[in-house]
Amino acid sequence: MSDNTVSKDAVVIERIFEAPVALIWKMWTEPEHFKQWYGPRGFTVPVAELDVRVGGKHLFCMEMSTPDGAMKMWSTGEYLEVVPNERLVYTDTFADENGNVVSPSAYGMDDDAHPEFTQVTVLLEDLGGRTKMTMTHAGVPTDEDGANSGWEQAFDKMLEHIATVSNKK
Amino acid sequence: MRSEDDPLSRIFLALANSTRRAMLARLAEGEATVNELAEPFDMTLPAISKHIKVLERAGLIVQGQKAQYRPCTIDVTPLQEISKWTDQYRHIWESRFDNMDDYINELKNKDDNNE
Repeated sequence: MSDNTVSKDAVVIERIFEAPVALIWKMWTEPEHFKQWYGPRGFTVPVAELDVRVGGKHLFCMEMSTPDGAMKMWSTGEYLEVVPNERLVYTDTFADENGNVVSPSAYGMDDDAHPEFTQVTVLLEDLGGRTKMTMTHAGVPTDEDGANSGWEQAFDKMLEHIATVSNKK
Repeated sequence: MRSEDDPLSRIFLALANSTRRAMLARLAEGEATVNELAEPFDMTLPAISKHIKVLERAGLIVQGQKAQYRPCTIDVTPLQEISKWTDQYRHIWESRFDNMDDYINELKNKDDNNE
């Protein structure tokens, strides 16, 4: 893959779906379809607002029921490139239910962790009734410092703390 | 949706609670009995036990077998496995695309039935 938006710190997944490219495009761009798959296992997607045009915003909510009640995680972002049936690029960042960017601490992560700015790129290739999809999810450097996931920082801190404590013994 | 089946969901669920994170921080300093873990919290022992069970299911703590004490110890392996954000998101995206595959099949079956 040669794409200048792809940093080495990225998730790249390639899959072939037994469906025409137009249907896969709808999966990403129509709320009715998007809600059916976007929640990873254990999550549902009660809200998916998709204003799919360059400069348009999205707002997703993923929800998991836990013994402590429902845990909701919101994210927002902007569509950067929209080429129907070919290419979709959008940013994705933690948010509140009104689409305001929030610090990861809002989701129980470390207070010192920076908000995470990421970019998702979806490339679709028509294989004649089947579709090859290449999805890249990359961290986008922010103005102040390199983008770093709140979870990653929180875990790093916890591991550091544990190491420090163990070394003291 | 079966969040209980999935190791990553179990870890997120375990960490999504301030009491449980405080318990892990306490255990990072050394093993502790259930009573010791309960001490800083204004909670009943059954409530504390519930939190411990959630941490245990996530593989983050291990409870010993000594009859009287059953001290808890921390296990950081699950945290190390998912400490890189790309590892977490790879897992999340794979799960999403599995869903997409299932959903596409559902749509196909609906179409077949309508024809």
